[in-house]
Amino acid sequence: MINGTQILNNKVCATSDYTELYRIREFVMDRAEKFGFSTEDASKVGLAVDEACTNIIRHSFKFDKSKKFCVQVDTNSNFFIINISDNGIPFNPMSVPEVDMNDYRKQLKRGGLGIHIIRNVMDEIEYIPSSGGDSMNLLTLKKSLI
Amino acid sequence: MPGKEQFNIVTKTNEDVDCLHLKGYLDAHTAPELEDAISGIINTGRKKILINFSNLDYISSAGLGVFMAFIEELRDKGGDLKMSDMKPKVFSVFDLLGFPMLFEIFKEEKSAIEKFKEMA
Repeated sequence: MINGTQILNNKVCATSDYTELYRIREFVMDRAEKFGFSTEDASKVGLAVDEACTNIIRHSFKFDKSKKFCVQVDTNSNFFIINISDNGIPFNPMSVPEVDMNDYRKQLKRGGLGIHIIRNVMDEIEYIPSSGGDSMNLLTLKKSLI
Repeated sequence: MPGKEQFNIVTKTNEDVDCLHLKGYLDAHTAPELEDAISGIINTGRKKILINFSNLDYISSAGLGVFMAFIEELRDKGGDLKMSDMKPKVFSVFDLLGFPMLFEIFKEEKSAIEKFKEMA
């Protein structure tokens, strides 16, 4: 356990604090490179996970540092799979309308780009909200090597 | 070594251009430091800001959002925010969002400074 971040072989659990983003990214990028992604692609996967975790800290936990969430990495022959679980307020990133980047740039808006990045970097995104009780919200991100 | 020690800014002045040299990782945790730095420059009445990315290894949407927050104000005042010396992995994030259409990005700081000097 280092600064609230507990890292196991394929799982990292962190407190709901932006200071944890660095360690989560490093963990995911390391596992993505070991799976076979180039450094640049592994960095993009780390970026997508960073954006997802930033949303959880902000929207699901409202910056409550007493809360924790976990990022688990799994692989099969084709996919690098990241499962992010939390017990905060359900926030389905897929429910956010897609950003029209032409309009976005014209309007010089700020924010809302994280989900656009996740959609662009990852091949599959699935969200299952908590069904109550001890069940967790689960965001699954998948990226193929090919 | 998590935290704000993962990011720092060195500010240098070249005539009427403020050059911010970023180092480390720019994410939701460290973006407020950059926001404060740019805001501080604008509050002194200066309006030409160059961001040098040569030592920046990572940027997320929180970092990009800082530039979006100030670009309109700077241009309305007759200034600008230009960028230089991006590593490919940082440029790829800008490119992913089409931001090279929005910001002038130069290979070298010198070229950006020269472009600023062409401005009134």
